[in-house]
Amino acid sequence: MKKMEKFDKIIIGAGLYGLYAALYCCQRGERVLVLECDPAPFRRATYINQARVHQGYHYPRSISTAMKSAGYFERFNKDYAFCINKEFEQVYATSSRYSWSDGKQFKEFCKAADIPCEELCPESYFKSDMCDGVFLTREYTYDAMILKDYLFEKLAVYSLNFVLKCDASIQAINKLQDEYEVIIAGGGYKTEFLINATYAGTNQILDLVGYEKFKIKYELCEIILCNVNEKLKNFGFTVMDGPFFSIMPFGKTGYHSLTSVTFTPHTTSYDELPTFGCQEKSDGYCNTSHLGNCNDCPVRPATAFPYMASLARKYIRDEYRFEYRNSLYSMKPILMSSELDDSRPTVVRTYSRNPTFIGVLSGKINTVYDLDEVLRDE
Amino acid sequence: MSNREKNFVSGVIYVHNAENRIEKFLKSIIGVLESNFEHSEIICVDDFSDDGSVDKIKKISLEVTTTCVSIVNMSYFHGVELAMNAGVDMAIGDFVFEFDNTNLDFDKSVIMEIYRRSLEGYDIVSASPRKSTKLTSKLFYGVFTKFTSQSYKMGTESFRVLSRRVINRINSMNRTVPYRKAIYANCGLNTDNIVYTSVGGRGDGPADKKERFYRTNLAVDALILFTEAGYSFSMTMTVLMMLMSVFMISYSLIMYFIAHPVEGWTTTILFFSVAFFGLFGILTIIVKYLQLLINLIFKRKYYSFKSIEKLTK
Repeated sequence: MKKMEKFDKIIIGAGLYGLYAALYCCQRGERVLVLECDPAPFRRATYINQARVHQGYHYPRSISTAMKSAGYFERFNKDYAFCINKEFEQVYATSSRYSWSDGKQFKEFCKAADIPCEELCPESYFKSDMCDGVFLTREYTYDAMILKDYLFEKLAVYSLNFVLKCDASIQAINKLQDEYEVIIAGGGYKTEFLINATYAGTNQILDLVGYEKFKIKYELCEIILCNVNEKLKNFGFTVMDGPFFSIMPFGKTGYHSLTSVTFTPHTTSYDELPTFGCQEKSDGYCNTSHLGNCNDCPVRPATAFPYMASLARKYIRDEYRFEYRNSLYSMKPILMSSELDDSRPTVVRTYSRNPTFIGVLSGKINTVYDLDEVLRDE
Repeated sequence: MSNREKNFVSGVIYVHNAENRIEKFLKSIIGVLESNFEHSEIICVDDFSDDGSVDKIKKISLEVTTTCVSIVNMSYFHGVELAMNAGVDMAIGDFVFEFDNTNLDFDKSVIMEIYRRSLEGYDIVSASPRKSTKLTSKLFYGVFTKFTSQSYKMGTESFRVLSRRVINRINSMNRTVPYRKAIYANCGLNTDNIVYTSVGGRGDGPADKKERFYRTNLAVDALILFTEAGYSFSMTMTVLMMLMSVFMISYSLIMYFIAHPVEGWTTTILFFSVAFFGLFGILTIIVKYLQLLINLIFKRKYYSFKSIEKLTK
């Protein structure tokens, strides 16, 4: 058996968190391997989401999440200004009915979290009596593809130290005396420092090593990209905290993303490892121990556009028009502990030291800086 | 089927302790919506049922294909009016069907019949059983129609379809009115009614004690709030009593002059008559005030919901 190649760090998952960690370590002179099961990086959660750079507005019932997002907001916008779209007005609204927060509470929350919010007239944007509070906020959207190109460009400088292996399906992870051994089809690698930067697959990786898994539920989510008319072009609307929706620019693509709390998740799995009815029909593309990419899946669900569109049109005024373009599907893990307050904490866990195993689970792009601390750790 | 309707419709169903009926009812509604509409949703408003209704709904929801079933669980018993408001608020359809009960006493085709009728330009189309059901209902609607000045003819309705336009209109009207049919009657848009022949035996399912009590209360409230019945009655009575007092005053004066009654009789009668005259005068004013107040503000009522469950896509 030939000797396995050894790296200073091995990172599983080539999303933003994976590539960010890779760049961070390369800059410190380390030799890094990134393993990605898809044919290319940035094809799942980093790309397929609302592309919000959060400043905390989304979490009116979790001030801790809000303040953390707000803290990183400035930094992310400065560091990655080239991929940020600021050229639109982000409007947040609280529904008159079925909302867990009302306009007044939202305003007080913004004040407490120290994030800007300016009250607008509901009737200018929403149908009569639908919303009891409408606010102009400062929130941006990032373009995942531009971000990817940037990280690649940066990493290209370290071509000797940075290796990206795509289409790498991990078959086993073994903990040895003082190193981890990662086996993929047709080879294996060794490291003293392993990072699990996957998202929906996080429990599947943990399962390979035998560490305690996250208590999560899985949602198969659909983000719809829409063509919008001139009137809607420069607006993002989010009716929040309840069974509502959001339609806002999707990075710098010129499209708007349409999502809704009730219709974006198509099916849910409460199992430790993601178990879905569609997996059987996927012809081996996807199973409970290895998730395929829902967006490329032959049996991805039919679009819920009619539902989301009806919901959005029930609220926003008729002059804001949008049309279906295409759908993006991805798997989203949601920490069960965050169901109640709707918070989205970024969890960084250390499972072992010497050899080291770090896991990160985050639903937000701008808390990527949380990684710095553990990456510095020797 | 290719010729299904493009409009998005919502069906809102009121469920309160209906475990025996809900399965058959829900299945029929799902069947009609799925075979006639490309996109639809069904919202079951569970008004604090303490039987197995919710489990039944969950079971049936697993079988749906194109529609989408949700449950709104009310926190405590709200009664059909507020509970249905909660359901309709949640609905996103261009047209919304309201099913006030889960008695399947109509032929399935009636659902599409009222929908098509509404497409002809009626914002509200309701469906009523041919045989007027109960004597009490008959009496209620008789009094109601007699004492209100509106064109909408009210009667026992099993279900109805509302257009998004009328829902928007109602939203911007008085949200505090505790009786939907009265708002529908006053919305000022075109309405129509279709009468169907009841099938499948007796229409009225076994309403439980809570529901019966609620309905009786609602009927009394509705009569007092929306009709002139209470007001007319008390006004008539006070005016009548005032007239009687006036008659008594004149009578005692006449008797004083022609019959020379016992000492003190005239003063006593005069005193009582004047006092009663004044008293009824004051009552007239108070009744008038109350009527005004009722017209200005109806009882404010809110619903509170416990959770919303999306069961299927």
